[in-house]
Amino acid sequence: MMKLVCCAIAIAFLLPGAAGASSEDPASHSVLDPAPRAKDWAALAKLPDWSGTWTPAPDDRAFPLGKNEPRWLPEIARQVEQRKADDAAGKPQNVFVNCLPEGMPSFTLMTVNAQEFLFTPGRVTILGEFDGNRLRRIYTDGRKHPDDPDLTFNGHSIGHWEGGTLVIDTVGFLPEVYLPLGQAVAIPNNGDMHIEERIHLVSADRLIDELVITAPRVLAEPWKISRSFVRSRERKFEIIEASCRQGDFFEDKDKDGNAVFVPVEHEQGGAPFPPTP
Amino acid sequence: MKSAIRALWMCVVLAGSYASAHHSFAMYDTNQLLTVSGTVKAFQWSNPHVILWLVDGPNASGASQLWTLELPTSPGVLTRMGWSKHSLQPGDRVIVQFNPLRSGEHGGSFRKATLVDGGKVLEVKLGPPAATPDSK
Repeated sequence: MMKLVCCAIAIAFLLPGAAGASSEDPASHSVLDPAPRAKDWAALAKLPDWSGTWTPAPDDRAFPLGKNEPRWLPEIARQVEQRKADDAAGKPQNVFVNCLPEGMPSFTLMTVNAQEFLFTPGRVTILGEFDGNRLRRIYTDGRKHPDDPDLTFNGHSIGHWEGGTLVIDTVGFLPEVYLPLGQAVAIPNNGDMHIEERIHLVSADRLIDELVITAPRVLAEPWKISRSFVRSRERKFEIIEASCRQGDFFEDKDKDGNAVFVPVEHEQGGAPFPPTP
Repeated sequence: MKSAIRALWMCVVLAGSYASAHHSFAMYDTNQLLTVSGTVKAFQWSNPHVILWLVDGPNASGASQLWTLELPTSPGVLTRMGWSKHSLQPGDRVIVQFNPLRSGEHGGSFRKATLVDGGKVLEVKLGPPAATPDSK
């Protein structure tokens, strides 16, 4: 009898799917990225030169509010107008106050800070200063999107080069990620958002990111919008560390003389103020 | 007076917090431009917004007031404009123009500072058309 039980246990562990990960589970498939070879690094030299630090162009610094707004579904348009009215009345419904990543397309449309591009074999990485130095990874190694991606703030991005243009396709966004017009006028995409981008130089030191945003749960039609950036090679323009909430705290000493952050009081709109004595 | 300001300062830093992070500047009244003269208590070089803590006065009755004047952008952007964490230092006497909080609290959106000693002028020029109430 004991032998039968032992055999049953052994078979259970040997049969695919009988215990632990199933062979049908994509997470159980191991895919190795090949080590880059000399020719892979050499190929990077043929890509356009996007080195340096890129900040929003002086003529393209404004947020989309009042400049390039999408056509919303009727019910969503009503919400947008209410948020605009609240903001205009000095009662903003701020959306980027919890220190969660702002995600795409805010990463591109809402920054007034610097960005930089890193090219490595099989990948373009966009580093931001806005939003706590968060980053985007765009895989250019020919892979497809996962069938069932984990939903994230910046989504899953794959790209390829068409001449000097980086073409990016991004899916897999959390439904809570905003379509932004301003700091206090934004609507969650509510699911199934898809973003296509074409990034390319338009002159020696000017770059444009042309986006087509499809969000069928809130938009009546795809939102076509762009943001232009200009290059600097000055060291004072280089990206620095930028946390998202350091300003909510003041540097002080505790009772033991240790350096500590202590919270600063804010009014409902998010502005700091001293209490009335 | 110093002890009163110190006590108030401790109230500030020990008070409860309401997260601000990236916020609209709509709570500031851009139709009003006020001027306050005082002494820099601290120049908080922090993200996403730099904050000038200023003690005004004393007024005719000897009272002083602590102000929080929020700059509409971050250290990275200010650095690219030529500012640094040393642009304003504790003890500097300054005259500051700002848009006040609509709520009447002693806070505002920083516009311009002039140092009493030397007359140096410090401004935040985000450039057209970014100098909007929503700037960050």
